[in-house]
Parts: sequence; structure tokens; C-alpha cells
Amino acid sequence: MDSLDFTAVLRFRDALLQGLLTTLELTLICIVLGCAIGFAVGLARTSTNLPLRNLSSVYVEFFRGTPVLIQLFWIFFCLPLLLGIELSNFASGVIALTLYMGAITSETFRASLKSIGREQFDACVALGLPRWAQITSVVLPQALLRAIPTLLSNCVSLFKESALVSAVGMADLMFIGSNISNNTARPVEVLTVVALIYFVIAFPLTRAVTVIERRILQKLAV
Amino acid sequence: MRDQPAAPLVSVSGLQKSYGALKVLKGIDLTMKPGERLVVIGPSGGGKSTLLRVMMGLETINGGSVTLAGKPYIRAGATPARTVIDIAVRRSIGMVFQHYTLFPHLNVMQNLILAPCKVRGENKVKASERAAALLTRFGLGEKLTAYPSQLSGGQKQRVAIARALMLDPRLMLFDEVTSALDPELVGEVEQVILQLAKQDMPMMIVTHDMWFAKNIASRVLFCAGGVIVEDGPPEQVLGSPKEERTRDFIDRVFHIRQ
Ligand SMILES: Nc1ncnc2c1ncn2[C@@H]1O[C@H](COP(=O)(O)OP(=O)(O)OP(=O)(O)O)[C@@H](O)[C@H]1O
Ligand SMILES: [Mg+2]
Repeated sequence: MDSLDFTAVLRFRDALLQGLLTTLELTLICIVLGCAIGFAVGLARTSTNLPLRNLSSVYVEFFRGTPVLIQLFWIFFCLPLLLGIELSNFASGVIALTLYMGAITSETFRASLKSIGREQFDACVALGLPRWAQITSVVLPQALLRAIPTLLSNCVSLFKESALVSAVGMADLMFIGSNISNNTARPVEVLTVVALIYFVIAFPLTRAVTVIERRILQKLAV
Repeated sequence: MRDQPAAPLVSVSGLQKSYGALKVLKGIDLTMKPGERLVVIGPSGGGKSTLLRVMMGLETINGGSVTLAGKPYIRAGATPARTVIDIAVRRSIGMVFQHYTLFPHLNVMQNLILAPCKVRGENKVKASERAAALLTRFGLGEKLTAYPSQLSGGQKQRVAIARALMLDPRLMLFDEVTSALDPELVGEVEQVILQLAKQDMPMMIVTHDMWFAKNIASRVLFCAGGVIVEDGPPEQVLGSPKEERTRDFIDRVFHIRQ
């Protein structure tokens, strides 16, 4: 094998940057939509309404129990057949990853809702707080605070999993990286650089999780 | 009108409470006059906490009723799930628990003004002024913006008492509020409760601290096995109990304390 040569990578830096922006855009959209779905589903799973609880469980278990790649292919190929409409690559990517993110964050929210102790509810009753004030002033803020560290990890996972959308031809960082690597016959250099880009973004976030978690736990420890 | 001196503040009649097959309260009858300070003592599992929790409206009941100032606000229904609780009357009772139940995501001031603002629609500025005055009186004037996690156990309990007082309760319930504290912090919390006693706040106190019981009680109940075994002035119940079971308990507790 000849020596490493990173000039090929440098030549394509604009394309790589474009891919990175697509990846970030896709990830951010799916984080926002996925968290909203996740919170609603997390509440549904702790609800007393049995059909609602069962329905939400089926959704969550299905998306947690199957490979994301298959979910993606399924939405890319089957959904247009079922709905009778063409979906852009980007739209299928967003739908698939949002549903996946919704499923994993719903577990995060469910755990955080459950971790609020019975004493907190006793205190609400003893203070005569109306039901809506209990939810908005006591339950929701604590559930969100407790969920933040795990939600951040969920976001990092999503950011990395998003590389799968290259498999359905979406021009994200991974897709552009493998194209460059095929065209330049420099897979080692190109893929190393692509991996480094993912790492440079994901690593500080994973470290932040530890710090933020410690801060929040300190604050919530009573 | 409703505060005629002779009328009882609280009356509990035929109160029964079970957890599944376990009968925890087996028909409690009790009246309390305004200004009285009832201390409830008794062995673990005797139903003391349950009695207070029922009076606070935190539990369903299997039989009987509880009345506050002439209004029956807790009544047994056909099934425990049908227990009728009058929420408006319940609001005039305050409770402090053994384990600190401050809201951890709110600072001390926010903990105090949450209920007045949400329940009574009180103006935030007014509520904050009242809160600051109360906290200063309890020696917490420096802690207005501290979070619960930054407070000692004794400070947390004093905040919890202040929080309950913000709603001007007509009756305060204290369930072993010093049991989770380090011994050196017990005094500061008991002092605050003694302060309230001086102002004739009606209260019901569950405690294992016999010194405190002696100093604060105007009346002592010995509660065991889901019934009130003995009920009388502190000198009698703590000093020379009439009932055999009370005597055994008092002997044991004082023995441990020596
Ligand atoms: N939520 C519950 N579910 C089932 N059983 C319960 C529950 N709460 C209390 N009990 C039972 O009811 C009985 C009375 O409990 P309670 O807490 O009222 O006793 P206590 O007199 O306060 O005791 P302690 O001095 O230990 O606090 C106990 O046997 C207890 O196990
Ligand atoms: Mg108890």
C-alpha cells in the first residue's frame, strides 16, 4: 500500500461540508419532532387508558426492536406504495428517523416521569395545588430536567445513526464521503476524515452528558 | 360565626382504613378543640401516619368521616374509591412530612409562593413579601434564593413548615418531621414548631421525641394497633399512664433514651 495522501480529501472539502450540513439539518429536525412525539408517547405509556397504553407500547417496541436500516428501507420503499405518493429522499429520511427518535425518547421520558417520587404528589395535595398546576409547575419541569442527560445521549445516537440515510441515496456526510472515497480510490483517508468529523461533533456532546447529568442530579437530590 | 369557642375544630368519627386485607385504622373517634396541640405517640405500624394522611385527604377510607370546623370534608363512600373529599375545606389544612417534600427544581422563595399564587391567585409581589417575612422569622432570611439541595435537613424542614404556613392553615399536621434529621439539627426545627404553638396554632404532631412531646403537647394520644389506646393530658399519658400498653411503651422509649 502506498503512503497516505490527504490532498484528495482537501480537494473535496466543500462537498464534505455540504454533506455535514445536510446531516446536521436532518438530525436537528428529527430531534425536535422526535422529542415531541416521545413526550406524548411517554405520557401515553403511563396513562390509565388501556388501549392508548397498548397502542403506544406496540409502536415503541416495534421501533426499538427492529434495525433502523430496515425501518428506513420500509419507509422509503413501502410507504409510497401504501400512500400512493412519491416521497423525496429527505422526507423519507426525516419520517424514518423521527419515528425512531420518538420511540427511544419516549422511553427516556417514561423513566423520568416514573422517577418523580410519590412524596412530590403528596406535597401537591397538601398544598391544595389544582391538577393543572401540579402538571405544569411540578411534574413537567422535573420530568424534563431528569430527562435531559439521556435525551442528549439519544441525540448523539441519532446523529450517528443518521449515516444510514446514505443507503437510500440521501446526500449526507456519509453518502458524500463514500462517493469521494470511490472516485478517488482513497478510502482510508476519506473514511478516516469522515469518521473524525462525526467524532469531533459527537464526543463533546457525550462528555457534556456526564457533566450535565452530575449537575442536574446534584440539583434534584433532596 | 362558625368559630364559636365551644365547637370542636376537628372531629373524627368511626374512621376506618384498610390497605387490602390489612386493617390499619379500626374505628377512630376523636375531637379536637381550637388551640389544642395533640401529640400522637405509639409503636411503629400503629397507624399514626395513616391517621394524619387521612386527615390531610391523601388517602381513601373504608368507613367514618372527618369534620373540620363543622364541615364534614372527608366521608366514606360505598367503596373506598368513592371516598368524598371536599377540596376547598382540605386546603385549610397544612402538613409537613418526615421526608422533605420541597420541590427540588424551585428555589426556597418559589417553593413558598407557588401555592398561594396558583391556589388563591395571590399577587406574586405580595406573596414574596409574606414569604420573606416568614422565612426571616424562621432564621432563613439568607436562603431565599437557595435551592433545596443547598440546604441542610433542618433548613429544609423549616422551609417546608413555612411553605405550609403560607396558606394560613387552620390546622397543621406534622408527621415525624425530625426523624430523618441529624440529632444536632432536631432542635432548630422543634423551636420553630414551639414558636407556632405559642401563637395557638392548632396542631397534631406525630413524634418519637419524648422531650418534645412533653414540651409541646396540650394533650397526648397513644395510638397502637389501629385504635386510640389512651387519650389524656401529657402528665398522665407520659407520666403515669393508666393503660398497661401505654406504660410498656413509655418505659421502653424512655429506657432507650437514657
Ligand atoms: N401505602 C400502603 N400500602 C400498604 N400498607 C401500608 C401503606 N402505608 C402504610 N401501610 C401499613 O399500615 C400500617 C400502619 O402504618 P403507619 O405508617 O400508619 O404506621 P405508623 O404508626 O406511622 O408507624 P411508624 O412509627 O413506623 O411511622 C403498617 O402496617 C404499614 O405497613
Ligand atoms: Mg409513620
